[in-house]
Amino acid sequence: MRGAAVLFVTLYLLRALVAELNTALSGFHLWVFAGGLFVTYAALAMPFRSGFAASVLGGFLCDAMTPVAFGTHALLFGIAHVVVFNVRERLQREETGVRVIVALLVNLGLYLIISFTRIRHGYGNPATWPRMAADLTWSEAVIAVVAPWFFALQLRMLEMARANPQRSA
Amino acid sequence: MRIGRSQRFDQARPFVVLGIAIAVWLAAPIAFKSLARASFFEMTAPMTFAASHAEDLQRFWSLRLHSKDELIEAGRDQARLNAKYATAVQQNDELHREVERLQGLLKMPADERFRFEHAQVAERDFSGWWQRMTIRKGADYGIPVGAPVVYSGGVVGRVAEVHAFTSVVQLTSDPGLRIAAVVDGDTRPISYQGAENQVFGAPKGTIEFVPLDVYASASAPKRLATSGLGGVYPPGLTIGEINHVESSADGLFKTGEVVLDPRLAELTEVTVLVSLEAQ
Repeated sequence: MRGAAVLFVTLYLLRALVAELNTALSGFHLWVFAGGLFVTYAALAMPFRSGFAASVLGGFLCDAMTPVAFGTHALLFGIAHVVVFNVRERLQREETGVRVIVALLVNLGLYLIISFTRIRHGYGNPATWPRMAADLTWSEAVIAVVAPWFFALQLRMLEMARANPQRSA
Repeated sequence: MRIGRSQRFDQARPFVVLGIAIAVWLAAPIAFKSLARASFFEMTAPMTFAASHAEDLQRFWSLRLHSKDELIEAGRDQARLNAKYATAVQQNDELHREVERLQGLLKMPADERFRFEHAQVAERDFSGWWQRMTIRKGADYGIPVGAPVVYSGGVVGRVAEVHAFTSVVQLTSDPGLRIAAVVDGDTRPISYQGAENQVFGAPKGTIEFVPLDVYASASAPKRLATSGLGGVYPPGLTIGEINHVESSADGLFKTGEVVLDPRLAELTEVTVLVSLEAQ
């Protein structure tokens, strides 16, 4: 499970960076959601057990910082991980471009599901949709730019810890 | 045949693991979940603190770049402000004594007293779903859950979560926050709630149960303040400005829109009002 621990460290760093970015953007009422980045690399490049553990732990990290029922992000990240893991053999998963597209799609799906969950619980109304659309667009743009760097960071960290499954295989 | 079954199971295995994980989580006791939440939050606290202190350092070094002339000028302005505030403090003490004397004569219950706990903002989380900020003081400074948080422009919100060294404040712009309010110069309570916050726009809220004889518009806005009802916020604190009211669907009351101070989204320091009676 060394791989899961290493990936969790990178997710911890990602959460801190996203929090700093959101603090800086608060004056503009813009917000970044990076859920897709918490799942993609673990689901595409890691063995199931360690990747799943990293995704779920990353979800718990997001849950602790947000006013949603504890386990919501973990559950959604877990489901996203299983879905991506199951289709990964049909993808050119070594390609960075493919990984970025998967991250964007996963992020889109997670964002929409969390939005519907919040609205179902009485938060938000049709007037909030333009704001959510703006946040989503902005989040996708940030992920498209940041994802290659973040995947490279995760790979380097795994190699430094000698936990890269491709190298050991 | 056996290989086919094995392959099918291999494909289904991730879903089986997911199902088992969900079942285990659903069966886990609430105490365990609460402990896990607190643990994960505290795990992120060192990074939040480090980033906030790095920002302090950055501010310090940027201030050191100012010339001596600028510092002398700032010091002179500060001395003038201090003199002005010293006079205001004396007047305030005098008024407090007068209020206490009158309360004693009329045998009125004493006002609730607060301890002012100033805290720096470490993180701001302003999504379309929630509006919160993390401050750098928590249980270590005796901050209770539900305490009102204020700044020079009025109400910031209320403390929603308290952790060992940090607290999370739910802002007045959060759609989940409600406050009993009054229109300036009126005593009838109305209900305030945070609303949607559009990109690049000022934070907003909505009001309900506004009496029919209350009028406000963008050209003649009215100040909305806390009513003191509900026991969380002391009365008279500014929430925002009502810039629009219209009759509600039932025609019995009006509803309206409140524009909040844009500084709310950029605060770096706030004050938590800790009730002395509760302590």
